[in-house]
Amino acid sequence: MSEPLLLGLGLRASYVLRLGEVRAVDGVDIEVPRDAVVGLAGESGCGKSTLVNVLLANVRPPLRVKSGKILLDGVDLLQMSREEVRKKIWGVKVSYVPQSALNALNPTKRIIELVKDAITQHTPATDQEVVSLCKRRLEELNLPTDSIHKYPHELSGGMRQRVIIAISTLLNPRLLVVDEPTSALDVSTQKQVLKMMLDMKRNRIIDSILFVTHELPVLRQVASHVYIMYAGKIVEYGPADYIFYSPLHPYTKALMYSVMTPEPESRERGLVTIPGEPPSLIIPPQGCRFHPRCPYVMDICRNSEPRLVPISEERGVACFLHHSEVAS
Amino acid sequence: MPSISPFIIYILRKGLFIVATFFAFLLVIFALPRAIPGNPVAALLAQIFQQAQANPDTVKAVYRKFMEEFGLYKPIHEQLFDFLSRLMAGDLGTSIAFYPRKVADLVASYLPWTLGLLIPAILVAWALGNLLGAWAAYRRRTRVDNALLPVFLVLSQVPYYWLAMILLYTLAVTARVFPVAGAYPPAMQPSFTPAFILAMLHHYTLPFLSIVIVAIGGWAIGMRVLVIYELRSDYVEYSELLGLSDKKILGYVFRNSILPQITGLALSMGTVMGGALITELVFSYPGTGYLLFRALSTLDYPLIQGTFIILVSTLLAANLIVDILYAYIDPRIRVSYVGD
Repeated sequence: MSEPLLLGLGLRASYVLRLGEVRAVDGVDIEVPRDAVVGLAGESGCGKSTLVNVLLANVRPPLRVKSGKILLDGVDLLQMSREEVRKKIWGVKVSYVPQSALNALNPTKRIIELVKDAITQHTPATDQEVVSLCKRRLEELNLPTDSIHKYPHELSGGMRQRVIIAISTLLNPRLLVVDEPTSALDVSTQKQVLKMMLDMKRNRIIDSILFVTHELPVLRQVASHVYIMYAGKIVEYGPADYIFYSPLHPYTKALMYSVMTPEPESRERGLVTIPGEPPSLIIPPQGCRFHPRCPYVMDICRNSEPRLVPISEERGVACFLHHSEVAS
Repeated sequence: MPSISPFIIYILRKGLFIVATFFAFLLVIFALPRAIPGNPVAALLAQIFQQAQANPDTVKAVYRKFMEEFGLYKPIHEQLFDFLSRLMAGDLGTSIAFYPRKVADLVASYLPWTLGLLIPAILVAWALGNLLGAWAAYRRRTRVDNALLPVFLVLSQVPYYWLAMILLYTLAVTARVFPVAGAYPPAMQPSFTPAFILAMLHHYTLPFLSIVIVAIGGWAIGMRVLVIYELRSDYVEYSELLGLSDKKILGYVFRNSILPQITGLALSMGTVMGGALITELVFSYPGTGYLLFRALSTLDYPLIQGTFIILVSTLLAANLIVDILYAYIDPRIRVSYVGD
């Protein structure tokens, strides 16, 4: 097996506030293989966006990394200075597409001005070279080339999102991290954006995608691997097909049942909501963090916390229901 | 309407609004001084005849002559008509207190001193205040911000006349580093010689500082909040993760935060006139504030009207310039009002 592109090991990160410490990422291992689309799913407030920032080494007070390593091609990003990461990693090896593309661009600059400012931080290219690079890439992706000479408000939401993805990846980064890239878009625009990202992967503009979302149906269309996050922890991971067709963790199941799927059972079952609310990350519940909302709760769940245990070579789950199977 | 550019329509609309405002203002400035109890001619004669003895008949004759000369016997609507028709011809009238000098000449000789004092002072305070405020915002929650913010708060609340008097008392009266009054030494004639310019700057320092120091605080507080707010925008995060340097991003943030401050700048060009009035009195600086004070204390109708007309015209012109500038700086406004 080849070395993974990005490997996060034993990551713990908290927001240190006066109210207390918000443990938004509490012991996470995550792996993005080469040539893969890894989905990271969970409810709002489960810590996925914080995990993304940690994986990007974009850590600023009040957020602090308590422990862990982030190996990108074997190099630990957390050992680098922010300035070094900015120059050598962001936009060069790892690119990020933010949650709200609508406001992600400086409203008073033409898009090409931002692109020039960004690219010249990483390469000695002249302005003209940046413009032609940018136009060639837009053509390749079937986007209108004149859009870069416009102001952000002159583009539609979907177009803005696609242009942002295109300009984020001008330097052919190995990894593209997208945070809820389609949440604000209508279904047909969503499809165009997803198709464009997959095309970019096929054309080797990027190697892998880390796709963060709360929309499981979207993930179904694109992901090869999926991580399910709950209250700062990974509760289940594995190849996408397993996660979608035979989820093990009660939380994963609940997530699947809460959205419509094409399978006939979905229609019979109807939509099931998850009772309760996501727990506080300042004082998380004792034992398993999901136990107050879990329909299969057992005595052991209230007292001890299940570890994330591999149950096959590619798959793992943090739930006592399945640990006993492994043990027996 | 494909033939007329939207930008021209935008300017015309703004211009029309300004003309309407100006006419409304003319009515107010005609009515207000006349609502003050008293009679300018009586005040002037009382002053003159305090010094020189004269028999009552002469006084009465002079009084009647002056009242006729200034049209003060006429009914009020005729006075208004005279005022407006003279104004249309570009005549601001003759001063009563400074008889027989023309109002336009008087204002013209005092105005340069005010403009020379105020425009640099406002611009310097605006620039320094915005830079300091942005710096404090950038260094938020550090020692820099913790030290600067209280200074801004105190400065912004200091009464400018109080600071003017303190500066005058300490640096001019007690320490004798700067002159006590005037815009230049009384013994000198205004000229473009190095000696005169040096003496002028020497007189200029204290009034200038008294305006700048107080104004910095307000600008800095405003800019600090604007920049803190702007730094939280999504585009700042995205630009960072594209690998842009802090310097570049601060450039973006500064430009986007300064838009409301430009409006503030234009407004303060007008409102600081009131502040300059007291500053000019404290330092006996021969500007329009000082002239306006003389006009008001002698109820000199034509001079009050003339001075205000000049001041308000400046303010309205500044507003128009800002509207145009805004459309130029912010593409969103350009699109919504002007078209690209």
